[in-house]
Amino acid sequence: MSDVDPAALLSPGAIRLAERAADRTEAIRLTGQALVDCGAVEPAYVPAMLEREESVSTYIGEGVAIPHATLAGKDAVLRDALCFLRFPDGVDWAGSQVNVCIGIAAKGDGHVDILAELAQILIDPERAAALRAAESAETVLAMLTPAPEETPEPTEEGER
Amino acid sequence: MTTIDGTTVKKLVVACDAGMGSSVMLASTVRKQLAKNGVTVEHTSVQEIPGDADVILTHAGLAERARGVAGGTPVVAFNLFLGDPAVTKVVTAIQKGQTIDV
Repeated sequence: MSDVDPAALLSPGAIRLAERAADRTEAIRLTGQALVDCGAVEPAYVPAMLEREESVSTYIGEGVAIPHATLAGKDAVLRDALCFLRFPDGVDWAGSQVNVCIGIAAKGDGHVDILAELAQILIDPERAAALRAAESAETVLAMLTPAPEETPEPTEEGER
Repeated sequence: MTTIDGTTVKKLVVACDAGMGSSVMLASTVRKQLAKNGVTVEHTSVQEIPGDADVILTHAGLAERARGVAGGTPVVAFNLFLGDPAVTKVVTAIQKGQTIDV
């Protein structure tokens, strides 16, 4: 539905593949800082991300968390954007191990297609493992770019 | 305890706090699963749940707030953003036209 260029939402500078964090709080701060650095949010967005994590964890499975702010933090969003931080050594996320943080800043729905693609990756353990192991920004972007023929849905949705 | 009649569901809403992250993810998977069932699937913040929703899915931590704004609309709480059994139950009920207790 949106014609947003994935590379504009997830800029090369916002893909960081060798991050290291002692704990979840530090990982969220780094994720928030990446959004600040690419001009997507004001610094006030970061505490709102930590606040959100306190109420409901953004861990979504397969070693991936999607830190983002509460509704209150939306005012600090300058433009829709994502960032991708890979933690090769993992971060303890209240008992789960996280290797990838995908930070979200959104006022609108520009990022929806990429998150939909992420959901499709994460329900396939092999693709999820490939995403966690991605060694280049190109690979990350290619994996998260929605396939063009996806709209008409030519394949039969298999019942498992 | 409320019941959901899968045959009457036309609009399913996934609600989370900000409506920008987890609800987007879950809505996208449910939308795919219900593509053939003529059900509109939307994502929203808990505060902005539309009045014409037939079923609301929300994280367990937000269920009380969601019930506060949902009126009589059934609210189904989940814990996992991917593969939660409560979500699967609702999706299956809609696909097969079953009535379920939630």
